[in-house]
Amino acid sequence: MATNITFHPGSIEASERVELLKQKGVTIWLTGLSASGKSTIACALEQHLLHMHKFVYRLDGDNVRFGLNKDLGFDEKSRVENIRRIGEVSKLFADSACIAVTAFISPYKADRAVARELHEKANLGFVEVFVDAPLSVVEQRDPKGLYKKARAGEIKDFTGISAPYEPPEYPELHIKTNECDVSKAVEKIMEHLVAHGYIS
Amino acid sequence: MTEYIRFHPGSVDYSERVELLKQKGVTIWFTGLSGSGKSTISCALEQRLLHLHKFTYRLDGDNIRCGLNRDLGFDHQSHVENVRRIGEVSKLFADSTCIAITAFIAPFQADRTIVRELHEKAGLGFVEVFIDTPLSVAEERDPKGLYKLARAGVIKDFTGIDSPYEPPEHPDIRIKTVECPVAEAVETIMKYLVDGHYISL
Repeated sequence: MATNITFHPGSIEASERVELLKQKGVTIWLTGLSASGKSTIACALEQHLLHMHKFVYRLDGDNVRFGLNKDLGFDEKSRVENIRRIGEVSKLFADSACIAVTAFISPYKADRAVARELHEKANLGFVEVFVDAPLSVVEQRDPKGLYKKARAGEIKDFTGISAPYEPPEYPELHIKTNECDVSKAVEKIMEHLVAHGYIS
Repeated sequence: MTEYIRFHPGSVDYSERVELLKQKGVTIWFTGLSGSGKSTISCALEQRLLHLHKFTYRLDGDNIRCGLNRDLGFDHQSHVENVRRIGEVSKLFADSTCIAITAFIAPFQADRTIVRELHEKAGLGFVEVFIDTPLSVAEERDPKGLYKLARAGVIKDFTGIDSPYEPPEHPDIRIKTVECPVAEAVETIMKYLVDGHYISL
């Protein structure tokens, strides 16, 4: 299908872009149960980076589900396509030298692996952060009463209750949110970014 | 379906982002026939902006068709979905304060209008640049021999040959590549961006 596309000379090289914008693109991929703390940490991280004048952008339910992915539901096929598209978009941001921060449950290992491979093939950084809180803890938090509804059978295919969550085995970072507060979590991620040369 | 998503307090608002990153997001949406010069001009524009240390990114066939939109074909329905997704992605880039540059044929007026409205509703800049090159000229250039294949019936639904191109009636910028060299086209767009306070030099 792609035969109508022609490679265009004159495109900027990745290394030149990094030099001109003084930052290296990377995707920070947060994964974890609903209410584990992904959005809280993603927001705080984004604020922190913006105050350092870094190009950073958060992709999450707010800006993806009602826009790009508004045609998708919550069944398994849709979840797979949801993650596929988010992987592709975060890769575009990383390619632009942005620090892309994604905060989606992304429950299936296979789909997260696809997102990772996509980045690695393009030589772009991919940092998987497992935002880990036990089901009992997130269920108690239940900020929007979704776990309650899921337990009552009102919501189907709810991750952790009636749909699986497959935790990462080897995430770059593992943050236990019932032990580690938001600022400590941000600090851990920042340390990783500096140690791996994504930011100075 | 939307009740599972909750607005999150603590998000950075757009005006704060603009202040911190010292630039205002905008999508520069090129449209025109295949071979009209969209990719040439958009590459040159991206280079110009990057050398001014502006955060900018080009979306075109190279990085979209084999990635995000690899599940789409070239039939009408696919063209519509192709443009829709590109519109949404460019809006995300503009929201991040990036200067997003898109270089796709985007043949149908209705689809381009949807993208414009998407940006305007979100308070984000949208600049439609019509790369106005006559079919005869684009066909003569035929950089990848596609017009030849289309004329021979080997490629179906090829814009300009057996699929329509609906030119914009009121583009923000019109560039006639027969008269206007690449460097001049870039400067025309740059002036528009400066005058519109999207960037300062």
